[in-house]
Order: sequence, then structure tokens, then C-alpha cells
Amino acid sequence: MKEFYITFRSITYAQKGQAALQRAGIRCQLRRTPRVLEEKGCGYCLTISQWDSMKAVEALREGNVLFQRCYLRGPEGNWEEQML
Amino acid sequence: MIYLDNGATTLHKAPGVYEAVNWGLRHCGNPGRGGYPAAMEASKVVFRCRERAGRLFHCDPEQVVFTMNCTHGLNMAIRTLLKPGDRVVISGFEHNAVTRPLHHLGCEILTAGTRLFSWTDTLQAFEDALKKKPKAAIFTHVSNVFGYILPIRDMAELCRKYGVPFVIDAAQSAGSQPIDLQALGAAFIAMPGHKGLLGPMGTGILLCAQLPEPLLQGGTGSQSYNQQMPELLPDRAEAGTLNLPGICGLCAALKHLEGQNLKKTMEREAQEAGKTAKELHALGATVFCGPHQGGIVSFLPPKGDCEMVTEKLAIHRICLRAGYHCAPLAHESAGTLDTGTIRVSFGPDACPGQTKALLEACRRVFQEQR
Repeated sequence: MKEFYITFRSITYAQKGQAALQRAGIRCQLRRTPRVLEEKGCGYCLTISQWDSMKAVEALREGNVLFQRCYLRGPEGNWEEQML
Repeated sequence: MIYLDNGATTLHKAPGVYEAVNWGLRHCGNPGRGGYPAAMEASKVVFRCRERAGRLFHCDPEQVVFTMNCTHGLNMAIRTLLKPGDRVVISGFEHNAVTRPLHHLGCEILTAGTRLFSWTDTLQAFEDALKKKPKAAIFTHVSNVFGYILPIRDMAELCRKYGVPFVIDAAQSAGSQPIDLQALGAAFIAMPGHKGLLGPMGTGILLCAQLPEPLLQGGTGSQSYNQQMPELLPDRAEAGTLNLPGICGLCAALKHLEGQNLKKTMEREAQEAGKTAKELHALGATVFCGPHQGGIVSFLPPKGDCEMVTEKLAIHRICLRAGYHCAPLAHESAGTLDTGTIRVSFGPDACPGQTKALLEACRRVFQEQR
């Protein structure tokens, strides 16, 4: 299954996002942003199941949580940016 | 021992604070700096603490900036809003934490409202000063010397009316008076973590409604390529490693406060201060009391200097502070610049037993002084 990554500008925003997703009943994991996705160096992201991606983005927007970008990671480790 | 110097720091911390500090020291890595469990655990506590403070003071978690004390927060707020030569309005009861940074910066200071316990005087003088187009206003919520509770809601409204950004010094009110960043519309509200919030020394909070100018530049764990401080809260104002054990303690203290009725705490403190004022007056002391007074009361003994009387009271195991309480401006306003005062400052544990012990000791010491 593909993993969905949502990147944030700082850990506080990622944590705020985590809280918003948890309130929406979406399971997520807070982790360091993989090097390849970092735009300005050092960040945190949330990973969720691909199937929850739309719902997750909606929950973040509803909660006014600023996030940077969304990516899908394929089984071979390739990254695809998602425009949601 | 009867501890009545809560205006300096609360000695008895909230349940769970001591254990939380110990836990933080033993189990937490550097928050926001790694992805391994000890670092993530630390980050979790930091965010939880921001959330709790946000709920208590009506703001978002990212608007809660951790500082090392209230002075640190006030300095940051002052540096953000003011430049050398700028005109600023302050109340007549400000602490050196406000006045010294303003003097250092070379601001033109307008002091508005010097009459103790008079909301009419405070508001009239404040409005007159706001008409002189200051760049900012800074005022304390509660005088640390006299316990005078300033009409901050009305002062905030005046600032909004005249379009003047303002800062509130909540050093003596956070944890015992309701504070709402959103409703007040303040640019910044600064507070210590170790007084009414019942957390450890070395902690403080600056509530930010706007992006502050950082006093320090350095690592934030975010946007490392960027050689400027990130333009986002709270990172911009938190360069370097946070006081994680302190924040663990503060987080436990805020959890305790969430279950408390602040209004009752405030009433209890004010009630004991009122009783103290009345009885000290009956013992021949000069007492500074009036309406709009919180849990702090200052007095002059019938005879002898404040420091010596306080020293004698300490022999009776009563802990009070004498002197100027780092607020010469407040003494100038009240006319006690020559003497200083003895300050009784109740905390959330205020009870009739403390007052009774204090008054009994005062009675004895005053008699010895005759």
C-alpha cells in the first residue's frame, strides 16, 4: 500500500496537524521529513494511509492548520507530489 | 513556616510538578530536534504544554512562546513594538522589567495613572496619553507592590479605539485572574511560569498575537538552510534548546490549573489580603488598600524600617519581602519611594490560618519595636 506524506514548516504545525487528524479519527504518525522532501532543511511530517488522504487534507483545512505539501510514496520508494 | 512571598515566586508548586521535572530530566531528549522516541516524547510534552496554555489564555498552541521568565517575554515584546526614541505609554505601577528595557531603548515614556486603586484616574490618564499618538502601550495587570488590579479590559478597549498596539504584563495575574488574548486584542501578553501558574522557575510564556522580533538568533530545529530566523511562531522566538524539564513541570502545573476555579482562587487571595489590611491597620501599620485589590497588600510598620521588621518577622517564620520590589515607579506613584514597603503576597493556597499567623507575628514584632 502507498503511504501519504504531509509536510509542515515546523514541528509545532505538524503536531497541530496530528491533533486535528486524531480529532477527525484519522490514524497518523509524526516523523522527521525525509531528506528528499525537505525544502528548507529539517522538518516534520505526518504519514497516513493513502485512503485517508482526502479526508486528512480536509481536516487540516477545516482546522486552519498550515501544511506545506503532500506526497505519495510508491512501493519502489518513488515520490509523487499530490495536489489536493 | 508561613510563606507569603508569592509575588516573587510560589514556593509550593502544583501537584505533579516535582515528578514531571524529574521525569523530563531522566527521559526526554531535545524537543523538535530528532525523530527517535526520547526526542519525540519531549516534543509531545512541549506541544501539550502549548495546548494547555492556549486553552487557558484563549489562543492557538503556536502563539504560546516559551521564555525563561516574564522579563524575557516583556523584552521581546518591547523590542518588537518599539524603536529608540519612540513614544510609549505605561501605567504608573510598572515593574523594572518594563521600565528598564524602555530606558535602555531610549524611548519617550509617558506615565499615565498614578493614583492607587482608582480606575477613574487610571482610565482618564491613560486615554489622555493615548491621544498623544504613542507607538505602543504597556501596562501591568496587577501591581506587584500594591495588588492594584488595573482595568485592563477598558484599557485594552481604549488602545483598540486609538489603534495603539499594547502589551500586558501578567506577572502577578496569570493563574489567578482570567486572561484572554483574543478578547483583549493585545499584541503580546507576558507571564512567568513560576508564580501563579505554579510551575518551576526558569519558565515563562509570551502569548503572541503577532510575529515577535527575536532577542536571540540560533537553531530552531526547523528550516535549517535559512540563515534568518523562521518567520513563523513559535520558532522565531525560541532559538536554542528549550528548558524541557521546566516545561514538563509547567505542563503539569497547567493541568492542575485546568481543574481549578480561578475565580475562587482570586476571591480567596483577595479576601485574605483584605483581612490582613484591616488587621494591620488596627495594629498601627500604614496600609495601602482599596477597591480593585488582589491578593497583595503592602504596608509600613508603625515603627522601624521595613527591612528590619521583615527580618524580625522571619524569626517568627513569616516569609515576607521588604524594599522596592523592583518597582520604583510604583513607589513613586504611591509616595513610598523613601521607605519602600513590606509586601504580603498571598498565593493560591491562601487561607485564614496564614493570615492569623502573620498577624500574630506582626503584633509581637510591632510590640518589640515600641
